[in-house]
Amino acid sequence: MAHVEDQGGRRRLLNWLLGIWGGGVVGSICYPVVRYLSPPDIPEAATLSVGAGSARSLAPNSGRVVPFGSRPAIVIRTPAGDVRAFSATCTHLDCTVQYRPDLQRIWCACHNGQYDLNGRNVAGPPPRPLDEYDVNVKDDEIAIARRS
Amino acid sequence: MICGRARTMAVLCVALVLVASHVHAQTAGDAARAEFRDDVHAAAGLTCPACHTDGGYAARPRTAIAPLCATCHSDAAFMRRFDPQVRVDQFLQYQTSTHGRRMASGETRVATCTDCHGAHGVRRVRDPRSPVAPLNVAATCGRCHADASRMRAFGREPAPPHDWSASVHAAALLKRGDTSAPTCVACHGSHGATPPGVTSVANVCAQCHLREAELFRASPKKDIFDAIGQAECLVCHGNHRIEAPGDAWVGVEAGAVCEQCHDGTGDSGTIIRRMRTQLDELSGAASAADAVLTRAEHAGMLVDDGRLALRDAREQQVQSRVLVHAFAAEPFSTAATRGLTSVRSARDAGEAALRELQVRRRGLAVATLLILAFLVTLGMKIRRLPPSA
Amino acid sequence: MPRLRPWLEERLPLSDLIQTLRRKTVPHHRYSLWYYFGGTTLFLFGIQVGTGALLLLYYRPSAAEAYESVQFIVTRVPFGWLVRSIHAWAANLMVASAFAHLFSVLFLHAYRRPRELTWVSGVILLLLTLAFGFTGYLLPWNEVSFFATRVGTDIAATVPLIGHGLVRFMRGGNDVTGATLTRLFGFHVAILPALATALVALHLLLVQRHGMSVPPSVERRAAENGQTIRAIPFLPHFLLRDLFAWTAVLALLAGLSTFYPWELGAKADPFAAAPAGIRPEWYFLWAFETLKHVPATIAGVSGELIAVGAMGLGALAALGLPFLARDTPRARRVVLWAGLGALGFMGAMTGLALAGGMP
Repeated sequence: MAHVEDQGGRRRLLNWLLGIWGGGVVGSICYPVVRYLSPPDIPEAATLSVGAGSARSLAPNSGRVVPFGSRPAIVIRTPAGDVRAFSATCTHLDCTVQYRPDLQRIWCACHNGQYDLNGRNVAGPPPRPLDEYDVNVKDDEIAIARRS
Repeated sequence: MICGRARTMAVLCVALVLVASHVHAQTAGDAARAEFRDDVHAAAGLTCPACHTDGGYAARPRTAIAPLCATCHSDAAFMRRFDPQVRVDQFLQYQTSTHGRRMASGETRVATCTDCHGAHGVRRVRDPRSPVAPLNVAATCGRCHADASRMRAFGREPAPPHDWSASVHAAALLKRGDTSAPTCVACHGSHGATPPGVTSVANVCAQCHLREAELFRASPKKDIFDAIGQAECLVCHGNHRIEAPGDAWVGVEAGAVCEQCHDGTGDSGTIIRRMRTQLDELSGAASAADAVLTRAEHAGMLVDDGRLALRDAREQQVQSRVLVHAFAAEPFSTAATRGLTSVRSARDAGEAALRELQVRRRGLAVATLLILAFLVTLGMKIRRLPPSA
Repeated sequence: MPRLRPWLEERLPLSDLIQTLRRKTVPHHRYSLWYYFGGTTLFLFGIQVGTGALLLLYYRPSAAEAYESVQFIVTRVPFGWLVRSIHAWAANLMVASAFAHLFSVLFLHAYRRPRELTWVSGVILLLLTLAFGFTGYLLPWNEVSFFATRVGTDIAATVPLIGHGLVRFMRGGNDVTGATLTRLFGFHVAILPALATALVALHLLLVQRHGMSVPPSVERRAAENGQTIRAIPFLPHFLLRDLFAWTAVLALLAGLSTFYPWELGAKADPFAAAPAGIRPEWYFLWAFETLKHVPATIAGVSGELIAVGAMGLGALAALGLPFLARDTPRARRVVLWAGLGALGFMGAMTGLALAGGMP
């Protein structure tokens, strides 16, 4: 009799353990799935479109360098007021360019290369213009995206 | 009588010689005519008599070539008809050049117009087939200046063209196609070709390496070099065989460039040693950070901010190397320190990514253990099932 | 709550189902271990559908965005790296399991009457599995998969008459481009799943109808000893063992994802030169290696054509096996040696390819 009860007890223990481990397995499947389904903070790849800061704080005849994925981009506001964005990697030897308000040009400090406000290489060694990006301003936020 | 046979032989020989020389002349003339078809002068409507003014086609004396070209190329009103923007001072420049002055004194073994531009197949400078196109200039100058026997006659070394071809500028021009890189004419001039004076060569370098030149001129070295009559850039970087500088140039040990003058004592020795330490530190730290980031990337981790920080560090490294030309502790040290800070955050980003990888592994290991526990328990349950009939 | 069961039973054939399952038994003998490979293949298919659906929520099937979207999944989406790693590993495990299932059925002669249709649907399912692998491989649009797809579709050109049209059909054009990506994506997530689901349903229905086949040697031994073949009840014995097998596969998947997470690679550049050592996934390696070793011409005909033709004939023979092989001991021996030969050949070629590819 005790033997049968032992069997019953052991069986209950086994079923109980099975339930615990089984629940754990199911949980370790469900938890990642639920987390996966909720969209991440940055909904789109940073290599396709990126925020470039406030539009109001970008004065005419000024520019700033912002990250675009793992490479730099430069956002400028022309003296006329247009917002434009280009790749900030100089096409000569890959230095990061900057905006020169005194020249009203995009300038590379490494070998004195210069680009006009359309990104075209106009002075110094750079052989090619800067890649241009699409610019959209919404609610004071500048968004730059790769040209499709 | 001298036999009729001998007379026939004589007539035949004379005839042969006449024919041969006529044929020879025809071949040379044909060659010139064929070349001239591609000539820029032909495209402008000029024909042979424009240069061969005396009606014959014998070669001109070399001293007369430049003045001949100048009759048109120095005439502004005439040249304007073909290209309103073209320069007309080439002959003037030539007369100031070493080639021009020697030619004027009767030495004909120096270059004149046709030696570089060709005689009958003259092409525009921007035509890549022209001997004076940027990619071909060094080879054209080298025809004489790399020829030991030619140069020996003037007491010159034939080394410069070969030295230049081993330089970073040659690599930029010939391997990368960067036409902004200097060839012989960038520093020596083309028509007014003369070795630049010791005091003026740095002006040439400064056209592209503006920042370094500004720093140097503001540094204590400028006055010292002027006083001892040394050229600015050349002492450390050379003139023809300009090789990529390395961090190891900065130092007071044997083999370092500073060691040429500095013996390591005093303030200057301290500053040099400190610069070198910081440069080496920055370089080593950047490589290490790059290795960590690459490992993380290959494992599939996101390290964009790490890469940006490393990029910034590399820019600071370039800045530091430029700031060496201030020859002072500051502002070099600031740039180097900023670079080290960026490297540190790059490395941190890489290591955080690798740590995250370990966290994932641990999480998965836990899940695997759970599954294995379930398996074991299930196995035990299966064993305890009542035996089937 | 107690009223739920009668409510359901009134509307669904639950009690019939449970009664059938209670009565169902599964033969138990020295080879019955091989019975589980069909179930594991099904389990892995289910995992692929699940993880595939999850990946679909973030993946973008265009050449401009595919790689970036996969990068996004593995770096920014919570547990995206896990879903993607599992999808990639389960694909490989499913192909392996499908081959194990096919060969075990072959060697145990379970294709015999009345299970011919089960066999045929199974072979087609194996081909569909390989097609799933081929179409899915390109979707991350990385360097390795781009060139492997180009090499793989090149082989289709050797088929006579329809070769060129076949290549254009597979590539969506003459070259591997963004059009290829979109087309293979359509195959991978819509057309192939629809076909596979229909065939799996048929396959399972037939397996239920005919039950598990018993190998001839087991039948013979039982007949000689005057015994009936031992069987275990489906519920709970076989089901729990099946669950054990499935859980073991899950553990294997978790382990592989932990220690060998799937790489992202470099983005495909169609204009770059192919990197050295490009080769397809392991389950195509044997075909790849065979084509490498075949001489340029055999008796005046293109060697490649003969090799592809032979493989095609092999596939047709496999498909028609139940109709070609009679149920006699001699015929079964022929099938055994043919199967061993095929397995040995494929294994040897795969081994050669792997050995040759090692730097």
